[in-house]
Amino acid sequence: MKKILGVKNLGKIHGSGCPRCLESTGPDAGSNICSHCSSVVAAANISFDLHAGEVLGIMGESGSGKSTIVKMLFFDEEPSLGEAVFFDDERQWDLFSVNAAEQRWLRNHRFGIVYQNPHLGLNFNFSAGGNIAERLLMSDLAHYGQIRERARDLLTRTEVMPERMDESPKKFSGGMQQRVQIAKALSTSPPVLFLDEVTTGLDLSVQARILDLILEIQQELGTAMIAVTHDLGVIRLLATRTIVMKNGRIIEAGLTDQILEDPQHAYTQQLVASAL
Amino acid sequence: MNPYYELPQDEAGYSFGFLDEYAKREVRRNILKAICIPGYQTPYASREMPMGRGFGTGGLQLTLSLIGRGDTLKVIDQGSDDSVNAVNLRHFIELTCPGVDTTERTQDATLIQSRHRIPEMRMTSAQTLVLQVPYPDPLVVVEPSEARRKIMHGEGDYSRLLTKLYEDIVHFDEITISHRYPTRINGHYVLDPSPIPRFDVPKLHQSPALILFGAGREKKIYAVPPYTNAEPLVFEDVPFRTEDFSDAQGRRRSCHRCGATDSFLDEFTGNDGERIYQCSDSDYCHQRLSTQHSAANEVSR
Repeated sequence: MKKILGVKNLGKIHGSGCPRCLESTGPDAGSNICSHCSSVVAAANISFDLHAGEVLGIMGESGSGKSTIVKMLFFDEEPSLGEAVFFDDERQWDLFSVNAAEQRWLRNHRFGIVYQNPHLGLNFNFSAGGNIAERLLMSDLAHYGQIRERARDLLTRTEVMPERMDESPKKFSGGMQQRVQIAKALSTSPPVLFLDEVTTGLDLSVQARILDLILEIQQELGTAMIAVTHDLGVIRLLATRTIVMKNGRIIEAGLTDQILEDPQHAYTQQLVASAL
Repeated sequence: MNPYYELPQDEAGYSFGFLDEYAKREVRRNILKAICIPGYQTPYASREMPMGRGFGTGGLQLTLSLIGRGDTLKVIDQGSDDSVNAVNLRHFIELTCPGVDTTERTQDATLIQSRHRIPEMRMTSAQTLVLQVPYPDPLVVVEPSEARRKIMHGEGDYSRLLTKLYEDIVHFDEITISHRYPTRINGHYVLDPSPIPRFDVPKLHQSPALILFGAGREKKIYAVPPYTNAEPLVFEDVPFRTEDFSDAQGRRRSCHRCGATDSFLDEFTGNDGERIYQCSDSDYCHQRLSTQHSAANEVSR
C-alpha cells in the first residue's frame, strides 16, 4: 500500500518547556502537565503512517491530544517537536519546513478538514454555496459558472438540498451544517481528509447518516482519512486502524478489531469495557 | 541628520508647503517605495494637518511633498473644481506654496489632486494624479484583523474578496460594488482605488500618468506607476462592467449642457421633477461648451 503521510515524533508543548518535560508527563505520570516547569505537553512522541485510501482512527478521552495532532497536520497549530512528510503524487512535502504560502497551498489543494464545530469550518456570513466557492476560489478556480455547478453537485452529493445552497448555513440544522462542511472539504478532491469529532453533538440518526456518507465517499474517492473521536461506535464503523491516546501519548496502536476485541493496555481495556 | 541644518522657512516660521522638510522627505521616500511595489500599501507617519482627518489629509500631504515652484495644480472634488473640499484644499495650497499656479484645465496641470474621480481627459506622462483615500484596504470588508490582512496581501490571497463577488452575483445577479472596486495591480496586490466609480477603473490600466493614493487617517500610501497593468477582480465568465448610462430605449444618455455621451454623468432632479444628467467632470463640460461656442461663432461669422 502507498504511504501518504508519515508522522515521526510529533509533539506540542504549551508553555516554556524544559528538558524534563517529556519524561515527567504521559500516561505513566498520569498527567500532561510537567511537574518541573508547569508546561502543558499536549502531545509528544506521536509517530504513525497513513496509507492511501485508509481511515485511521484516533481515540482517547478529552484532553488526550487527539485534536492537537490533526490541528498540527492541518497547520492550524505549530508543532514544537517532530516532523511529518506528505507523499503527494509528484513530490514529497516536509510539512513543517515548507513556507507559509506552500502551507496554504497544501491546505487548499491537498488537505480537507471537517471540524466538530461548524463555526470553525464555515463562514456564516457567506451562503452555503459561497463557502464552497471560497475553497474553490482558494484553489484557483475563478469561473463563476463552474463554481456554481461544482457547489451544486457537491451539495447534492452530501444530501443538502441544492435549492438551499444560497442560504446562510446559519439557518441550517446541525447535521446539515456538518454536511456543508463535508462538501466544502471535498470540493477540491483532497487525497487526505481530517475529521475532528464530526458526529459529536448530533443525534443518533443524523450521526448514522453522516457516517454513512463518509464511508461512501471514502470508498468512492479513495480518500485517506484521519478520524478523531472519543466515540467507540464511530471508530468501529469507520477506522481500519486505530491509535489510542492518553495524556498526550500513544498507548496502543493496531487494527481496530484487534484493539476493540483484545485491548492490551489497561486504559484501553477500561475504555472498551465502559462503552459496552 | 544634521541637527544644525536650518530648515527653509518664511517670515512667519512656516516651510514651503506647510510640512517641514523632514516630513516631506519621509513622505517622498514612502512614495518611492509605493511606486517600487505597485499596489502595496506603504505605511507612513501621517502628520496632523490643520483640518480634520478624513477631509483629504492623505492626498494633501502627498501633494505638499511633491509640489514645487513652477508646478501647476488642479484640485477636484467629485469631478468638480468648485465644491467645498476642492476650494478649501486649493486655497490652503495657494496660501502655503507661494509661486505655485493653480488651474481648472486638466491639460494645463502638472499635478492633480482629486477626490473620487479621475479626469475624463486622458492624462499624460508629464502629469501626476493624487487621490484622497478614506479606506485603503480592500480586504477590510472580509477580514477585520489587519495582521491577517497583511498576510493575505503578501500571499496574494484574495479568494475571500472573490467570494464576496460570488455572493453578490448569487443574490443580485450582478456585482453591486459601485465604487472602490478592488483592482489588481501588476498581477499581485489588490488595492482599493479610492472611491472612484467603476467608470474610472479602466483609466488606471496602463495609465501614462503616475497615480498616487494617500490615506491620511489610515496612514497608508500606495501607487499605480505609469504604464502598469490594473485589472479589476472578476470571474473568468463574468466580465467587468462599468456604469450603464442607457435610457429606457437603450440609448446612451448625454450631458444636458454639453451633449457629451462619453463622460460619467451625475443625475439631478430638475425644477419640474424631471431627471437631468450632467457631466460630473465640470472642466471637461466647460471645455466642450467653449469649443462648441467658438465653432458656432465661426459659422455665424
